[in-house]
Amino acid sequence: MQNVDAIGSADLTGPTKTNYLSNGFTLKSWLLTKDHKRIAIMYLITISLFFMAGGLYAATIRLELLTPDTDLLTSATYNKVFTQHGILMIFFFLIPSIPAVLGNFLLPIMIGAKDLALPRINLLSLYIYWIGGALTVYALLQGGVDTGWTFYTPYSTTFSNSYVMAVGLGIFINGFSSILTGLNFIVTVHTMRAPGMTWFRLPLFVWAQYATSLVMILGTPVIAITVLLLAIERTVQVGIFDPAIGGDPILFQHMFWFYSHPAVYIMVLPGMGVVSELISNFSRKKIFGYEFIAFSSIAIAVFGFLVWGHHMFVSGQSIYAGMVFSFLTMVVAIPSAIKMFNWSATLYKGSISYDTPMLYGLGFMGLFLIGGLTGLFLGSLGLVVHLTDTYFVVAHFHYVMVGGQVIAYLGGLHYWWPKMTGRMYSEFWGKVSAMLVFIGFNLTFFPQFILGYQGMPRRYASYPAELQVLNIFSTAGASVLAVGFIMPLIYLVHSLFYGKKAPDNPWMLPGLEWRTSSPPPTENFEKMPVVTWEAYEFGEESGLDLDEARRRESVTTVS
Amino acid sequence: MQTSSWVPLFPEAASSFAWQVDALYFYLILISVAFTIPIVAAIFFFMVRYREKEKFATPDEMHGSIVLETVWSIIPFVISMTIFLGGAYVYYNQYRMPEDGMEVYVVGKQWMWKLQHSTGQREINELHVPVGRKVKLTMTTEDVLHDFSIPAFRTKADVVPGRYTYLWFEATKPGKYHLFCAEYCGLNHSGMGGWIYVMEQRDFDNWLAGNESGGTPVQQGQDLFENKLGCASCHAGGADQRGAKLEGIYNKEVRLVGGQTVIADDAYIRNSILNPSSQIVEGYQPIMPTFKGQVTEEQLVSLVAYIKSLSGVTGAAPTGTGTTGSSTMQGTSTNTNSTVAPRADRGNSNTQGSNPNAPATRPEPGRNNQ
Amino acid sequence: MASHEGTHEEFHYHAPGLQHQFEDMKQQEESVSIGMWMFLVQEIMFFGGLFSAYLVFRSRFPLAFAEGSNHLDPFWGGLNTLVLIVSSLTMALTVFYAQRGNRNMQVLMIVLTMIFGATFLGVKLIEYTDKYNNGLIPVTGWNKRIKDTGASEHTAETSPAKDAAFVLPLVETRTSAAESATHEIHPNPKGEFQWNYGSHVFDYAIEKEKTSGKAYLTQSERIGYFSNGAFDPNKYRDKIRIFFYIYFVMTGLHALHMIIGLGVMVWLLWAAFRGTFSSDYYAPVEMSGLYWHFVDIVWIFLFPLLYLLGRHFLHS
Repeated sequence: MQNVDAIGSADLTGPTKTNYLSNGFTLKSWLLTKDHKRIAIMYLITISLFFMAGGLYAATIRLELLTPDTDLLTSATYNKVFTQHGILMIFFFLIPSIPAVLGNFLLPIMIGAKDLALPRINLLSLYIYWIGGALTVYALLQGGVDTGWTFYTPYSTTFSNSYVMAVGLGIFINGFSSILTGLNFIVTVHTMRAPGMTWFRLPLFVWAQYATSLVMILGTPVIAITVLLLAIERTVQVGIFDPAIGGDPILFQHMFWFYSHPAVYIMVLPGMGVVSELISNFSRKKIFGYEFIAFSSIAIAVFGFLVWGHHMFVSGQSIYAGMVFSFLTMVVAIPSAIKMFNWSATLYKGSISYDTPMLYGLGFMGLFLIGGLTGLFLGSLGLVVHLTDTYFVVAHFHYVMVGGQVIAYLGGLHYWWPKMTGRMYSEFWGKVSAMLVFIGFNLTFFPQFILGYQGMPRRYASYPAELQVLNIFSTAGASVLAVGFIMPLIYLVHSLFYGKKAPDNPWMLPGLEWRTSSPPPTENFEKMPVVTWEAYEFGEESGLDLDEARRRESVTTVS
Repeated sequence: MQTSSWVPLFPEAASSFAWQVDALYFYLILISVAFTIPIVAAIFFFMVRYREKEKFATPDEMHGSIVLETVWSIIPFVISMTIFLGGAYVYYNQYRMPEDGMEVYVVGKQWMWKLQHSTGQREINELHVPVGRKVKLTMTTEDVLHDFSIPAFRTKADVVPGRYTYLWFEATKPGKYHLFCAEYCGLNHSGMGGWIYVMEQRDFDNWLAGNESGGTPVQQGQDLFENKLGCASCHAGGADQRGAKLEGIYNKEVRLVGGQTVIADDAYIRNSILNPSSQIVEGYQPIMPTFKGQVTEEQLVSLVAYIKSLSGVTGAAPTGTGTTGSSTMQGTSTNTNSTVAPRADRGNSNTQGSNPNAPATRPEPGRNNQ
Repeated sequence: MASHEGTHEEFHYHAPGLQHQFEDMKQQEESVSIGMWMFLVQEIMFFGGLFSAYLVFRSRFPLAFAEGSNHLDPFWGGLNTLVLIVSSLTMALTVFYAQRGNRNMQVLMIVLTMIFGATFLGVKLIEYTDKYNNGLIPVTGWNKRIKDTGASEHTAETSPAKDAAFVLPLVETRTSAAESATHEIHPNPKGEFQWNYGSHVFDYAIEKEKTSGKAYLTQSERIGYFSNGAFDPNKYRDKIRIFFYIYFVMTGLHALHMIIGLGVMVWLLWAAFRGTFSSDYYAPVEMSGLYWHFVDIVWIFLFPLLYLLGRHFLHS
């Protein structure tokens, strides 16, 4: 067991020990590293770049939509802008985000391992991400793509004059990055747990990553083959999606959504895992219904494969298929509801602190609640016919993906920032930007529900004049949201140079990640931990010396 | 869409099953509010009531509760089943085609809707229907996926190349309702809209019989150009537009694909509408569809008048016979056959005032320029 | 799993090949094994997408599929199946000998596996060449261009097209050779997909419909093969072309996996030759074996689905 006295203490006076950041400063030591933590940091930098690029596209969209006419951009450009916003955000930001950054960094530490099971595969995963990303960015710079991120045929195979094949290949390659990460996580959770770390002592973040990894492995190959077939068909003008030669455009939709629906669970399950950590740790209370949250993640992963047809209700698919998919969509909503109730119950009789990560966690709960409930609107057959392909859908998926995963990602980033970088950020600015994000987000996307019910279709550069007011609200909100997103960039980077040195365990939390130094050494732990306590034990049973910590609190000022 | 408030919240409901969709919507809003308010209130309440009083406190352990988990799994499940059943019922109404509907055929194409009534009347981007009668649309597309969407009727359906899809509605209120394309289809997806006109039966019968109201030829031509025939979607789109620029071209020399030049006079304009692929302006693709059979001679007259007005030419109806205008195979622009104004007037695209050919001869009907 | 009592300064014996993140070989082997199985699971999903596309089109156009399938030579396909099965045997024997640390037998078995693998690819080359020569590759321009000289009734061997840019021999598979008796060189100036083999399966099905009164065509076929009420050979050809498209994508992807497998074998051969594997450490051999067996199994599914459709039609 870890030396109890070492927990929570920051040896601020002694010489700095070697940690994973100081263990080699050459470019080669980074680019050829097998250290999961360094790989996570490299993902972090790349993902942030993609987020900014995708965000610029989003800003452009909202600016164009300030007026009913297509006056800022041409239609051709607008079509590329929204397509590329979607592609960059989904494939190159959201899907990797939490797994590749937080998962990579924390999963081995949380289970008490030295590294992931397959570190070189991890590095390969990063390289593949870079290659796929580079190819896609190259294609965007050459002229981009205008098919929508959904690449529906026959527009994408035969009619679009844009770089469909190059972007398709970029996405194809990038998919393998996702698959290898998922594969690595599954193996690691099975074989690398420290002694005493049983399945039901795992942090819920790990359960969430495990469920996500199942989806990544099973789903991503299907988009890979779909995009490959699309690229082939576009190149040789022979194939199975173009009706002019006997193909079937609906088959493309089935194959596309067979992955892309589970993909949205890749884009929310990790966030839920982070939220479980945030809510529990900042209430200092064991998560209510641990097993239910753990199993609900698995249930979402499994059922998520059965509902793809709910993206195709008006596509011409049979109405009986529609009914089956609607029923299953209702079923898949239940596990998420269970989580929401369990999180709320965790707050009950807790000891809640209002740190920035907690604010993000609570923000997730509120926004995902709305996003999830509006998913019911869209899963309900009669209503969805009116709402599909309108801004209602746009609002719904932004609530769950941005209000969900992005907020959770920011929350997790703030929460584990001291651990990852050894620095504390400004709590004041953290709170300010959390609130700006929450307010800006609602102002941006809530009006879009109304626009959707009004019938404003998606992917429109121009719209009827009577809808302008709501669009203006939305753009105004987007400007607030943008500020909220830019601020962390500034103060987090600032903290790297000027932030207070972080103690090992700033909040005295029981997770294994807090039992090692901030930042951790390359091997993660000085001694392999042996776990004898249950998950989320905030008291002395887990070896936390709270009295000592309180005493030190009153003497020094640790954040 | 007709809305009455400053910030439009709700589109008009104008079909027989629209109220069912709206009822479902309200039911879902009710459920959402019923869940959101307690949960958000609980979160706020807990946040305040249980805020940390002592640093690093260790609250009492609380083990889970199977009872609670069961309750809050079963209840949402039951509620979601009611949503499903209600939705399935409405959906069945929306998508089960009536047997006795008035048939209308719809063909979507980039970027317009072509409709035809079973009585033969054709429309572009507009659909006139009588109130209170079931209308069944049989739809397909010439190129890519589109979606025929009428928010006021609370229905839509994709059109798929290579097969037919169907839509039906029964309009309940006369009026003018938006038609949108709701499946991304390329460049002018946002512009591929139109109007559904719901009329009283008597007005509809009149319309079918072809009565049109007044307006000058230029006004009628403008209406046809911008609204009814969809010309604007390619010819008024700005720098990147697909169709040749029409402003200021009247009676000017135009280079065609293949090298010849013509004078863009009345006959040329008329020919370009009826047989567009025969004289394409250099630098443009042969993608304009023909409107032969879709425009009456009267409408042709209005269109030509309007297009002339884009060159500043106002006034009377066009001149010219049914010849190929001023085009010759020799590449000069001498017109030997028409009664178009003498050469001195040509090339002046900003001719103000009346057309020097004022008491014009009307183009001979039926003389297409092949 | 052992837990360390001491610090890292103490000496620990590490088995050869143990990677630093693992505590012991058992953990490493377990990890690598789960990893390889997960990889194979995702490969199944990858091919699964293609199998679903096959499923959809075959259930819509079974006759066209049978027609196309009859022109794949079951001799070569069957030979390949046998070759792969035997190669899986030699692969399994490789693992067997690696477990026993028998270096020479390991090397022999790997070499044999590679020979069989290369044979498989060689046969595929023969088959693909035959398709190329007979205008059965679904992409225009990717078939042998044969100028329209107006001549006919030549047998295959006597008149190779003079202007052919490719020097590939006019290889006849046994099926098309069987038709050589009346075989004509069909002009194919653009190297297009051509279907010159009639519509035996379709005719047979129509016959059966007439005589038995049962339906032998699917709904899609009643629309898909006909124009204006009459059988349209061009539309039929288009559906057959879809069969061949799926055939090439599936077997092509499979062949690519085979090539990768051969690459893995090269590495394995080199490592085995150097005596890397022993009874303590043979996991890489086992994992490579898993991959090889997977590639074999995919072929076991591909072969009947592509080669053996409606075989009985030809012989009834």
